[in-house]
Amino acid sequence: MAAIDDKFERLMNLTAALLDAERPLGRDYILERVAGYTADGESNRRTFERDKVDLLKLGIPIVLEDIPGEADGVQGYRIERTDYELPDPELDPAELAALHLALRAVRVGESDSLGTRALWRLGGVLGAEENNPSASAFTLGALPTDPALVPLFGAVLERRVATFVYGTSEGESTRSLEPWRLEFQRGHWYVLGFDVDRQGERNFRIDRIVGTIETGPAGSFAPSTSSRGDQPFRPWNPDGSGDQSVTAILRVDGDHAATATELLGAETISAAENNGAIVYEVPVTSWPAFRSFVLSFLDHAELIGPPELRSDLIDWLRTMDDRGADS
Amino acid sequence: MTKQLTAAERLERMLAIVPWVAAHPGGVSLSELSDRFQLTPTQLEECLRIVWMVGVHPYTPDALIDLTLESDHVEIRLPDYFTRPLRLTVAQAFALVAAGRSVLSAPDADPDGPLARGLDKLAGALGSDRSSVVDVELGENSTEVAVLQRAVTERRQLEIDYYTYGRDQLATRRIDPWSVQSVDGFWYVKAFCHSAEAVRTFRVDRIRDIRPLGTNFIAGSEDSRIESFRPTDADPQITLNLAPSAGWVVTQYPIRESKTLADGRSQVTLAVSSPQWLERLLVRLGTDAEVVASDPSLATCGSDAARRILHRYLK
Repeated sequence: MAAIDDKFERLMNLTAALLDAERPLGRDYILERVAGYTADGESNRRTFERDKVDLLKLGIPIVLEDIPGEADGVQGYRIERTDYELPDPELDPAELAALHLALRAVRVGESDSLGTRALWRLGGVLGAEENNPSASAFTLGALPTDPALVPLFGAVLERRVATFVYGTSEGESTRSLEPWRLEFQRGHWYVLGFDVDRQGERNFRIDRIVGTIETGPAGSFAPSTSSRGDQPFRPWNPDGSGDQSVTAILRVDGDHAATATELLGAETISAAENNGAIVYEVPVTSWPAFRSFVLSFLDHAELIGPPELRSDLIDWLRTMDDRGADS
Repeated sequence: MTKQLTAAERLERMLAIVPWVAAHPGGVSLSELSDRFQLTPTQLEECLRIVWMVGVHPYTPDALIDLTLESDHVEIRLPDYFTRPLRLTVAQAFALVAAGRSVLSAPDADPDGPLARGLDKLAGALGSDRSSVVDVELGENSTEVAVLQRAVTERRQLEIDYYTYGRDQLATRRIDPWSVQSVDGFWYVKAFCHSAEAVRTFRVDRIRDIRPLGTNFIAGSEDSRIESFRPTDADPQITLNLAPSAGWVVTQYPIRESKTLADGRSQVTLAVSSPQWLERLLVRLGTDAEVVASDPSLATCGSDAARRILHRYLK
């Protein structure tokens, strides 16, 4: 108990000293002048190193800088207030309570503590009815998370170029993106932005990003003025443009047409047949992706044209059929 | 008996509480602080008694936090630090924004209500010009979702025509809908199914028709939470060698085991929830997947499906 009290007091004093400092504070100065560093020499220094880690873990932006007026290489610690202080969003009680209710209705990942801790900083948790037995009726669902989401969200907010390795059916490649926003659609997270190397708007599925995200300096690009982007991601036409595409003609049986229309977009419907089947004309730039889509309907859909794609699909199926016959 | 907070947990809470109290010059009640910041009155008092001693060198009265604590009332006057709370971490901001945008995408959300206003203000504090930097679609907001949500509230029995994707089969069922929720981007209804005489979860976009019946039901007592698909040990297994271009399988499906082979392919073992699910996977993968071992019932699954589809093209 006493040890926790002492440490808590020391951490508060350390934070106050670094916030209050007009110039960076050297470590020796801190150990001498900040109350709570009472042990001797080496043990004190180890305590300070551990305290620093505790502060950094909370997101306190401690910087190490040269101390002006001191010899070269003499450095000290400081907290830049504008990096530390939360600008006041002036949330009224109804807005705070609505944010709290949203956190309770939707699980983001496995833990719900992140959002709650954000609410403390924003003015507290309102509308709490922790013991309300009907609380589960508010549950609206759950969103999956991905390790790449938080760094990408940071890059979107601070307008940093994000560089990452992206895996597709054609292999892996390194991409550089000015990220505009994150979207969750049909069970997957996407990042949407301007692809610097390919000079165009692109969507990337976040779970296909391999490894870590590197980010460049803040404020590297202007906010997006894109009007597009509300378009759902269609892997057979990832740019969403009609450029260099072929038009595939697909018939889907009536029982499955609702799903197909949602995925292909109503604008691709070209005819409705008497038996309920619907024929679609779909711009396709990636044939492997579209073939995969067509085959997910099993024998409830038929690719009618163009002839070269139809015969490729038939060859694909024949190869599989033959392989089954051999085994 | 309340949980003992660590020193870092106390610090986090106080960096939010101290500026909040100081922003109310007349002081606030301990009970309000306790509700708002989720601490017991004892935990709160333990922290505040220490805050009273916090300050900067030389720790003279003018360099300390000026705190008055009298029975249920606390007042704080600050020197020049701790006047604003600490910024949100990116992970915290994301959790809050993602949850908020999700609720806004639900069928009955108010686009101009307090949540929407709160998210707009929050975006400003995060340094973004728009709150739409995260867009969430919990699922297709069809009329079925609204009909089902009403039936849950009214406890009305329904008859549905449901397409079972895994078995590729359409059937009529009578259900007591308990809860409508979005999981991984799709709306689901959890219900007692009278046809199966068991609790079942149905994906709303596979319900072809809904007919409300005249009868009401008594709410089930089971947990209404809907979990995403998890394979069970009873499910048959299949082991595949996958070409590098089929790597997406690993990210999309629950993999039991996975290893990289000398030739660069990966070998994965999957639990198979239904033969039709496996049919779709195998015809989509084609020659990118080679079946290494499988439950006997699944051995010819891929080639059987390929033959059936071919029949449609060659008739």
